[in-house]
Amino acid sequence: MPLSLHPDLGSQLINLCSMLLLLTTFAIVAQRRLSACVDLFALQSLFLAVTAAVVAWFTDSPHIYIAALLTIAIKTVTIPMILKKVIERVNVKREIEFVINIPPSLLICGALVILAFSVTEPIAKLGFLLTRDSLAIALAIVLIGFFMMIARKKAVTQIVGFLMMENGLFLGATASAYGMPLIVELGVFFDVLVAALIIGVYTHRLQDTFDSVDTTKLTGLKE
Amino acid sequence: MPFVDASGVVTATLLATIVLYGLGILLPQCCPRHPHLQNLFAHGAATLAAMSGIVLGLSGLFIDAPPVFSLPSTLPLLTIQFRLDPLSAFFVLLISLAGAAVSIYAVGYVREFESRHPIGLLGGLYNAFLLSMTLVVMADDGFLFLILWEIMSIVSYLLVVTEHEKADVRYAGFFYLVMTHVGTAFILVTYLVFFQQTGDFSFEGFRQSIASLPEGFRTIAFLGALIGFGTKAGIIPLHVWLPYAHPAAPSHVSALMSGVMIKTAIYGLIRVYFDFLGGDFPWWWGFTVLAVGAVSALLGVMYALMEHDLKSLLAYHSVENIGIILLGIGAGMIFQTYGLANLAALGLLAGLYHTLNHAVFKSLLFMGAGAVLSTTHTRNMEEYGGLIKTMPWTALFFLVGAVSISGLPPTNGFVSEWLTFQSLFLSFQLPDLLMKIMVPIGAAMLALTGALAVACFAKAFGITFLAMPRSQHAREAKEVAWPMRIGMGLLAVACLALGVAPMVVVPLLDRVTSGFTEATLAGRLVTEGGFALAPGLGIGFASISTPLLAILLIVIVPLTLLGVVLFGGRLRKRLYHTWGCGINLKPRMEYTATGFAQPIRQVFSMIYRPTVKVETEMLEESRYFAKRKTFELSLEPTFQKHLYDPVVRLFNLAAERLRVVQAGSLHLYLSYIFITLLVLLLWVS
Repeated sequence: MPLSLHPDLGSQLINLCSMLLLLTTFAIVAQRRLSACVDLFALQSLFLAVTAAVVAWFTDSPHIYIAALLTIAIKTVTIPMILKKVIERVNVKREIEFVINIPPSLLICGALVILAFSVTEPIAKLGFLLTRDSLAIALAIVLIGFFMMIARKKAVTQIVGFLMMENGLFLGATASAYGMPLIVELGVFFDVLVAALIIGVYTHRLQDTFDSVDTTKLTGLKE
Repeated sequence: MPFVDASGVVTATLLATIVLYGLGILLPQCCPRHPHLQNLFAHGAATLAAMSGIVLGLSGLFIDAPPVFSLPSTLPLLTIQFRLDPLSAFFVLLISLAGAAVSIYAVGYVREFESRHPIGLLGGLYNAFLLSMTLVVMADDGFLFLILWEIMSIVSYLLVVTEHEKADVRYAGFFYLVMTHVGTAFILVTYLVFFQQTGDFSFEGFRQSIASLPEGFRTIAFLGALIGFGTKAGIIPLHVWLPYAHPAAPSHVSALMSGVMIKTAIYGLIRVYFDFLGGDFPWWWGFTVLAVGAVSALLGVMYALMEHDLKSLLAYHSVENIGIILLGIGAGMIFQTYGLANLAALGLLAGLYHTLNHAVFKSLLFMGAGAVLSTTHTRNMEEYGGLIKTMPWTALFFLVGAVSISGLPPTNGFVSEWLTFQSLFLSFQLPDLLMKIMVPIGAAMLALTGALAVACFAKAFGITFLAMPRSQHAREAKEVAWPMRIGMGLLAVACLALGVAPMVVVPLLDRVTSGFTEATLAGRLVTEGGFALAPGLGIGFASISTPLLAILLIVIVPLTLLGVVLFGGRLRKRLYHTWGCGINLKPRMEYTATGFAQPIRQVFSMIYRPTVKVETEMLEESRYFAKRKTFELSLEPTFQKHLYDPVVRLFNLAAERLRVVQAGSLHLYLSYIFITLLVLLLWVS
């Protein structure tokens, strides 16, 4: 049981998992191929599930286990499956297109991480939970996910960005309050699934209308 | 008082009114395939509800302690509370009185819509409109008032665009929607001024906030209410939507909008000025209201004279009559400033009396216009003519309305305009020299207004109903269905009754005004024996006995005829066509509406700025003989051109500049959010 282990072990483990999450986030930003992007997202979600499980273990809150299981079921299995199908269906020929290229993207993401840490610093100092350091990472992931949505042209990458933001939020909730009430988490999972489905359909429509999933073409809808 | 248990009656009739209007909304939706049945359900329920509303209003006037009804509410700031004080009761009575007659009329009028429009929707909205008006004047909470006010505005917008397949109707609706929301924004400003003082939206809180309200805020509240409610009431220069929206709506809705809905704004003004602001005004407040009223009355009737669309003409007359009402209220406010409580009560009472009268005769006139419209299918007066022969009932009722609105005895318009005149004349009691001079100028403008109104309705009635039909439409006209005649007839009777028996009405109105001015007039305004009104209030000024006037009219006319018969020599009847100098008379020889208004247009060309274009095409053989002549006349829409168009242009320009932001790029929009987020994060850390 937790007590028999090293007292710092819990927070060390959680920090490790969080760092892995952040690492995969950077990997996604640096990735050029769409399908690899989705695979990395699945991996990120797996790390998220592990983080949640670790938190559940060290805080003795069984409902987080359920959330972790749901994360695996939905974010590492179902959604990547849907996204793969979408990629197959829309038959993306050229891989990821950028508004901002990879090297500057990575630099900006680094800056975002620094910003996240500096913003959360006063809050983390007040914290007493063993997950307190993860909050900064969670915020960083949210910001990077958002940045992904802006910096990438293809609709599929924007979905990935959106899902990354959601992962960041989930990590934030786990980190700052040992997870949200189960009913809220169930609702969020359902929302994310529906969002992924809707955006999938929307991508199809985009392909049908513009012969491309490049969302910059949407400017043509003006007027 | 005649009611044994007035508060019991109030509770019962309030419930009955709400439930019946509710049924009027729901029942028509239950039988979507039977438009005729929907029509009957909707307007039958509305009639019953309005009748119950009449009882509610009457009993509310007699209760000394205003009954309060509250419902629990879970929303913050919102308290669902209604209060029926005499002012509210008076307006409930007014709304219901017109509502009952118009609902009966609607049963007949809506029949022609049955094949073209969804009656369930039209009838449901109609009931919702009446219900929202009834509730808005009873609301006892600022927030609730605004919600009901908005419901009223939006429902009336939906009714205006009933015939939305026509482009001009859609334009009128849009114009109305914009104006009414601008108005609501200003009302909101007024309420927020009160709210920030008390932190409470209840009307009771508003009343108490006054003691601590600084002078500047009081002025903001005054102006906000004047502009906000003035937009709805249609004071000049905020009147521009009326001549568009009122004609565009189906006629029974126009009758309610013009006759009743704009009165809710008068209610709002009185509520804010005399109730919340407590009647303690600087002199220029009352003077502003008076001036706005005088200008609205005069310009309203002048524009009405130039209008040849019967319903637009009536809409402009609403502007005029709102002006007359404001003259009374403004005079009341001035007297209040100088502590002349009796005269303040008199001015306010005159305004309220005219409010009631206008509701009755304007609804009647719009119903008459609707009757003409429903059988001729045109609103252009130049295509009417001779309708008195085919539609005698409509003609009679329209004539009663026309006489009323022109302010001639023995109808109600005369009584209230006379009272307004008296309260303006009595301004010689004011201590301030400037006011002593300015207020009678208002009376002079009112006199000019009255004269022009007579001219206008001589035109409206003469061109529409007299002489020969000017078009195929008019030749094929038929008398309208019975429900429509009954609806008009009821209000025509009400016009006469309110005109002949002011001594019954004045004590009722006195219960409203005495709450605000600390003066009861009932005993003094009505002379002993109850046959005459004497607004001098003990200083022996002027007095009038309306029943006597009516009797004189009834007696003098037969007496004159009798005299003619007795002393006028032998009468020989000879029926023959009008002599036309040997030429056959044709409708084209008739006096046109444009021709009728020409002298007035000439006199006031400074204001109208007419553009006349005459083109004559001569015969090729001789330039002394004209082949064809075309005549075009347009008036400059002064307010639209110089006041509204610049504002619209400014907005369009600003929108054009701001469009850069709205580039249509998803990434750009995401960046906006992202950058905002980052800035906020940096700002808090």
